[in-house]
Order: sequence, then C-alpha cells, then structure tokens
Amino acid sequence: MFLKRGLPFETGRSSEGELLVSFKAPLTFENSAEIWEGANTLLAEHQNGPLVLDLSGVTKVDSAGVALLRSIEHLCRRKSIRLRIESVHPSIQHFLDYFEREPQVRRAPSPRGSLVARFGAFLVAQAAELNQFAGYGRSVLGVAARSVRRPGRFRWRECFYYLQLAGSDAMTILFLITFLLGVVMAFQAAIQLKQFGANIYVADLVGLALARELAPVFTAMLLAGRSGSFFAAEIGSMKVGEELDALTVMGFDLTEFITLPKVLALMIAAPLLTMWANFAGILGAIGVSGLSLDLTPYAFLHEFYAAVTFGDIAGGLLKSEVFAILIALVGCFRGFQTDMGADSVGRQTTAAVVSGLFLVIFADAIMTVLFYLLGW
Amino acid sequence: MILENINFCVEHGRIVTILGGSGCGKTTLMKGLVGLLKPAEGRFELYGRDISALGDNEWLDWVRRRIGVLFQSGALIGSLTLAENVALPIREFSNIPPEMVEEIVRLKLAMVKLGGYGSYYPAELSGGMKKRAGLARALALDPHILFCDEPTGGLDPITAAEIDNLLLELNHVLGITMVVITHDLPTILGISDWSIMIDGDVRGIIATGPPREMQHSPDPRVHDFFHRQAMIGNAR
Repeated sequence: MFLKRGLPFETGRSSEGELLVSFKAPLTFENSAEIWEGANTLLAEHQNGPLVLDLSGVTKVDSAGVALLRSIEHLCRRKSIRLRIESVHPSIQHFLDYFEREPQVRRAPSPRGSLVARFGAFLVAQAAELNQFAGYGRSVLGVAARSVRRPGRFRWRECFYYLQLAGSDAMTILFLITFLLGVVMAFQAAIQLKQFGANIYVADLVGLALARELAPVFTAMLLAGRSGSFFAAEIGSMKVGEELDALTVMGFDLTEFITLPKVLALMIAAPLLTMWANFAGILGAIGVSGLSLDLTPYAFLHEFYAAVTFGDIAGGLLKSEVFAILIALVGCFRGFQTDMGADSVGRQTTAAVVSGLFLVIFADAIMTVLFYLLGW
Repeated sequence: MILENINFCVEHGRIVTILGGSGCGKTTLMKGLVGLLKPAEGRFELYGRDISALGDNEWLDWVRRRIGVLFQSGALIGSLTLAENVALPIREFSNIPPEMVEEIVRLKLAMVKLGGYGSYYPAELSGGMKKRAGLARALALDPHILFCDEPTGGLDPITAAEIDNLLLELNHVLGITMVVITHDLPTILGISDWSIMIDGDVRGIIATGPPREMQHSPDPRVHDFFHRQAMIGNAR
C-alpha cells in the first residue's frame, strides 16, 4: 500500500511481520526532503517492532540520499526501533560504504564560565586592549621624535596623499553638514530668543557653540567615519595580503612607514577643516537669522566678533588636533590588529570608527572640563 | 584577446587537465567555462548549451546543480565556520530539512578528511585544509562537473599528493567529471586521463592527449613544459 499518494516508497509487511518500506526511485537531492517528511510521519505512528528498508528499487543515491538513510537510522535509534537495510545494489553499497567514515577530530569545547566570570574576562580584555593602544601611542611618539631629527626620511608624498584624501576630499560633505547644522541651531535659537526680543544673541549662541564645541566635534566625527575607517581597512588589507610582513622583512619600521604620514596628514587637515566647518555653520546661521529674525549679515557678524574671542576659536582648534591624533592612531591600531581573513578587516574597520567616536567624545569631555577649570 | 578558437570535449567521468605556462589564459578559460567571464566573441558551451548567452539569473539557476568550482585559495567565507560554508549552498538551493543538511555537511567534510573540523573557521586552517574544505563546499550539491583551479598550487609535495589522491578517489567513487587547471607536473601525470595544453603566444590549444604521450611530443613548447628538470641541467 502507499503511505501517501505520490511518495516514492511503498509500505507493507515482510514475511516475518516486520514493517517493510520499499523505495521505488533514486534517493537524491530532488526527493530526499519529501521522503524524510513521509518517513517521519510513518515512524511517528510506528510504535514498536523492527523496520526493514528495501532498496531493491533504488538505482541511484547521491549524498542527500545517504544523509536521508543516516537520518532515518538516527531516528530509529532514538525511538529504539531495530532497522535493517536490505537488497542494496552493489554499486550503491560501494557508495554507501565510502561514506561510512566517522569524523576523527573532535574540537575541545571552549570553556564557558558564569556570567560574572565572562563579564570579568571582558573587562580584562578591554583593559589589555587599552594598554596595548597606550603602548602603540608611546611607540608612535618615539618614532615621531626620531623623525623630527631626520625629516628627510619622512614619507612626505604619502602624507600629502592622505592630506588630500582626509582634507580636501572631505570639504564638500563637511560644508553641507555644518551649514545645515548652523541653519538648525539658528532656527531653534530664533524660536526662543524672539520671545524675549533677544534676536541678536543668536550670533553669540551659534558662534560660541560652533567655535568651542560643534565644529571640532562634527569635523572629528566625519574624520572618524571617512579617514579612520579608511586607515583601518587599508592597513588590514595590507596585513591580509602579507604586505606588512614584506615591509618588515625588508627592514622598514611600520610605524614610520605607515602610521606617521597618516597621523601628520590628519593633524594638518583637522584644524583647517574645523575652520571650514565654522565658516559653513556661521553662513547657515546668517541665512536663517536674515530670514526669520530680520538680522542683517552685518549685525550678525558684528555681534559674532564681539562674542567669540580668539581663545574660543583656538580652544576648538586645539581640540581638533587632539581628536585628529586619536582618530589616526586608533584607525592605524585597529588596522594592525587585523587577523587573516576579509571578515577581520570588516570587524576592525567598524571597531576603528566606534573606538574613534568614543575617544573623541571622551577626550572632548575631559578637555571641556579642563578648559573650564583653567578659565579658558 | 587572450584566447581564440578553443574547442575541446570532456568525456563524462573523466579527469581532464588544462596545462600551460603562467599567464597563458588557463584561469580565464575556466572562468569562461563556469560563466564568470563572457567571451568578447563566440560562445562557451556546456552540455550543448551556450552558457555565455544566458542571462544572469538564468545562468545561476542552470549552473547551481551542475557545476562545482574549487578556487585557487579555497575561497571560503571567512566569517562562517567550515560546516556553515559547506551548508550554505545546500540551505540556499535545496529544500533539504536542517537535520539532513547537518548530516550532508558531516558526510562532505568526512569525504575530504576534515571530519570534526566543522566548527573551525577558515583562518584556523592550513593551506591544504582550506583547499579540502573548498572542495567539500564545491561538492556540496553533488555537481556533475567539478572545475579545480590550481588545486595543488602553493602546497608542499606531500599535501599536494594528498589532494591529488582525494581528487582521484572522488572521481572514482562519485563519478564526477573534473576539469583541472594546473601546471604541476606530478598532478598532470598522476591524475589526468587527458590533457589540453594552451599556449599564450598562439592564444589557443597547441596539444591534446594523454599526458604520458604528450611528454614525448616533438613540439619544443610541449617538450620543454614536461622536461623542466632537463632544461635546468642544460643551463648548468
């Protein structure tokens, strides 16, 4: 009888009264899933007694067919059903025998401690990484000091290449972002200041916020996203391609050859970009002030010059220098941490951006408090 | 134009090696045959079907169950374990239930002598193991033809011999037709039923036949290819 119409097997009883399943078609990728479903239903109903699989009608078996027979075996073992496979064509038996190899190697399971232990291990790993990063920073400082004494050895060409990449290539997008930032800030301030007739102070608010805080931070975010990730991906790919090993065995100092040009390029680009961001933001704010507060550009700039001192702008530029060093260092550091494999490049590139942004905000908080304490 | 007027037949169940010096177009030919490159002119035919004329989706549907490719580096996906690499085409292109997919993966890994390595990532494996894992993935859906690009390239002689033996065993047991791109003499002489030699200057085939007969070819290009040792002796 047919268990289910259309299935490539029949069920019946053998002469000894065992449940007999006779396959009538090749056991291949095309029908194995369907047969497996039917076998599951059959064995769910079959409570006891042995099962006989008759393969006399099977002319071909592929690896899905072998997996099917193995899966039926496992299922029978779980349900304590005795299984016998009979009438196997010699060529198919040869094929089945070939797959009778069991895995030889077993990987030791990785130890999994308690939640507290794992959290502790995570903290230790983070501390070790921070220590590594600090060590890397120190070594870059040492190499930089050596390079200052021998400027002829410095790789100026690479430095200019990265300067263009991180600096001039970023100008358009930075202008757009900070222009819109100026527009948003001025617009939000205008709504409040209008109520008190203090329209003119929009220049103080936007000017100070941009010069001291927002221009350097937004510039740093853009640099972390564009250049930090680029540095990590570039160095990571070089590591995967064994270019770093090649440079090392040729006798190059990787810090001097790879890291320093990038750090210097970002140190030059960041303050210039921050000035550019200040300019774009103020331009946006002037536009909004003219439209919604009836402030002329002259009045805005007059108030801006009165409110924003050289110290405010210099403070922002100093911040941008610190941010640039952190972003370049963390980008290169993450690149050097890449293991073999494309996925590692991706992971380290992501880590470069995330770590870069975190360090920027962290350093900003420290410097803001420090400037306040110093009365700057 | 790298190659012109290339025509050859591969009998079912045979191992054919495509030989030639570096840069002669062996890998280009293989990429054309598996549909990764379209010819500037002419056609690539497999099973009498012009695969270069197929649209992208049509080609993917056609190629999935017929062709397996072992790339030079193994080309395993680094973010997936070996078991996940092998399971990937089975899960995507068949309706096999998950418990059976696991069973097939175990079989395939055991077949290439990597049983138990399913939880390893490619970065944790040696070059030879990566090639074997790549082979397991190439065979995941039991293809009719297996293309191998430099299967023994960059391996030590003993590991290379293991790969050669594995290819022979798979050809014998599974009856898979194999097209092997190589310039490794022991591989050519050890596994191939038939060889096709390509020359970069001619941009085409310069010799075909069983490799042990090709060894004695009067054509100096073929002779030099097979008798590198003698050439070194002459130079000394």
